[in-house]
Amino acid sequence: MTNLKTLIRGEFGRLNKYGLFKANFVVLLLWVFLAWFLEGEALLQFIPFIFLMDSVMMTILLVGATLFYEKKEHTVNSLMVTPVTENEYLLSKVITNVLNSLLTVFIISLVVYLLKGVTYTYWQVVPAVALVTVVHTLIGIRLSYGAKDFTSLLVNYMVYVFIFFLPPVFGQFGLFDRSVARFFILLPPEASGLLIGSAFAAIEPWKIVFSYVYLALLSLLLFRFVVKPQFMAYVMRETGV
Amino acid sequence: MIVVKNLRYKYPKGKDYVVNGISFEIREGEIFGFLGPSGAGKSTTQKILIKLLPGFAGEIAYQGRALSSYTDEFYQDIGVSFEMPISFSKLTALENLQFFQRLYRRTVDLEPLLKRVGLWDERHKKAGEYSKGMKIRLNFVRALLNDPKFLFLDEPTNGVDPANARIMKDMILEFKQRGGTVFLTSHIMGDVDELCDRVAFIAEGRLREEGSPRDLKLKYGKRTVKVEYRENGELHTQLFPMEEIKTPPFFRLLQEKEIETLHSGETTLEEIFIKVTGVKLRD
Ligand SMILES: Nc1ncnc2c1ncn2[C@@H]1O[C@H](COP(=O)(O)OP(=O)(O)O)[C@@H](O)[C@H]1O
Ligand SMILES: [Mg+2]
Repeated sequence: MTNLKTLIRGEFGRLNKYGLFKANFVVLLLWVFLAWFLEGEALLQFIPFIFLMDSVMMTILLVGATLFYEKKEHTVNSLMVTPVTENEYLLSKVITNVLNSLLTVFIISLVVYLLKGVTYTYWQVVPAVALVTVVHTLIGIRLSYGAKDFTSLLVNYMVYVFIFFLPPVFGQFGLFDRSVARFFILLPPEASGLLIGSAFAAIEPWKIVFSYVYLALLSLLLFRFVVKPQFMAYVMRETGV
Repeated sequence: MIVVKNLRYKYPKGKDYVVNGISFEIREGEIFGFLGPSGAGKSTTQKILIKLLPGFAGEIAYQGRALSSYTDEFYQDIGVSFEMPISFSKLTALENLQFFQRLYRRTVDLEPLLKRVGLWDERHKKAGEYSKGMKIRLNFVRALLNDPKFLFLDEPTNGVDPANARIMKDMILEFKQRGGTVFLTSHIMGDVDELCDRVAFIAEGRLREEGSPRDLKLKYGKRTVKVEYRENGELHTQLFPMEEIKTPPFFRLLQEKEIETLHSGETTLEEIFIKVTGVKLRD
């Protein structure tokens, strides 16, 4: 437990020192700036979009950037010869990102309340954003370890966006047949969007339940069968220094 | 303290055994040197011993218990320095150390350690801005910060200037005097000679020779004494078997001639290295 706390503190310390926090903050300011121009219904549609972008895209990017530095500096080795376990290490990444996403939720919510007096069901936003971030931290780790260098990481990232993120967006504009579109809930970003959106608009209950169960299960499976084995293999490769 | 029996290891993607059936023992309180040309499997062996590489064949017992039965608590008691210096480049040296310090139950005061290796004044400098030698010293300090009982040092003085190498070697010897055990890999024979109680030579994943530096030098050396003396301005050499140095011819020579040098025929670790590994040392 104390190890986990130390690791998370370390993660935040490094996000700061490596300039990633700053990058995150700049994006946050852009969101605030855009929200400034919106009112009423449009704003209420825009806020869940911010949260979705932050907990899906920003999470993957931040994970990618941190792992990129760790790879470059071979620091995982030195952590693995301390009493830190593999689970603690991976969990610290997940928790750090969840806290980071929730920080965004907090700041945006505070700003739109102060500027526009807008409120929504916060208790629904928090677990949704947390779960979405968990899944996408794991997906981010998967994309990073699957990449040889920063370029191929970017390629992986773009491929993920095109395959998983864009179809549901186009679906909203009716570009897909309904018979196809109803399977989009199986795409993590779509299920994520549903969960976060449910705090802002009425969504069929079965879809919410399904999305929660689906993303939770996906997280467990990803962790157990993809990320953990990949991490072990990565540590072994890393010892080539 | 560590008993290794018939250790074999192949990297998951490699096709050959990198470590191919080696057995040795590291006794409590000694400095054990693991020597061999590059690519011999020294670093791989170290990584197996520190539980970084699972999936080896053979047995490793640490204080009588199989290594695999230890949890990550094992790391409370050991200190490791890798061949390549590793640190978070954008954190200062001190921030690096403090981060790692919090992961251990038992830690030491950093100030005297950093002062000793000459990094105290530059502790607030980013690790990425350190020179190679400074990074290596920083890693050495990190290996010591949990007050370990067992140190694993992979080429610890490689790339460090002689003055700082001297300090590090003294610290390694002091660590041993306090009861610590050291596993050290190196190809710098001078350091090995000075530090190690026992050494093992490996080449191509196999153990070629093992023993104390002294015993090995006797074993591989010639039991002779070589005398160089000057007579009529010319240099002469005479060789005596060790058994004959108590006999009159040897004494006469010493008494009558102008002796320039006297050498016993023991060999150097470097020569043994070349002999048993079949490889010339590069530097
Ligand atoms: N991570 C790795 N994956 C595959 N092969 C490796 C890896 N690390 C080292 N090797 C190979 O194993 C052999 C032994 O390497 P190593 O243990 O580093 O030797 P040494 O430390 O004695 O120089 C070399 O042939 C090296 O190429
Ligand atoms: Mg090596």
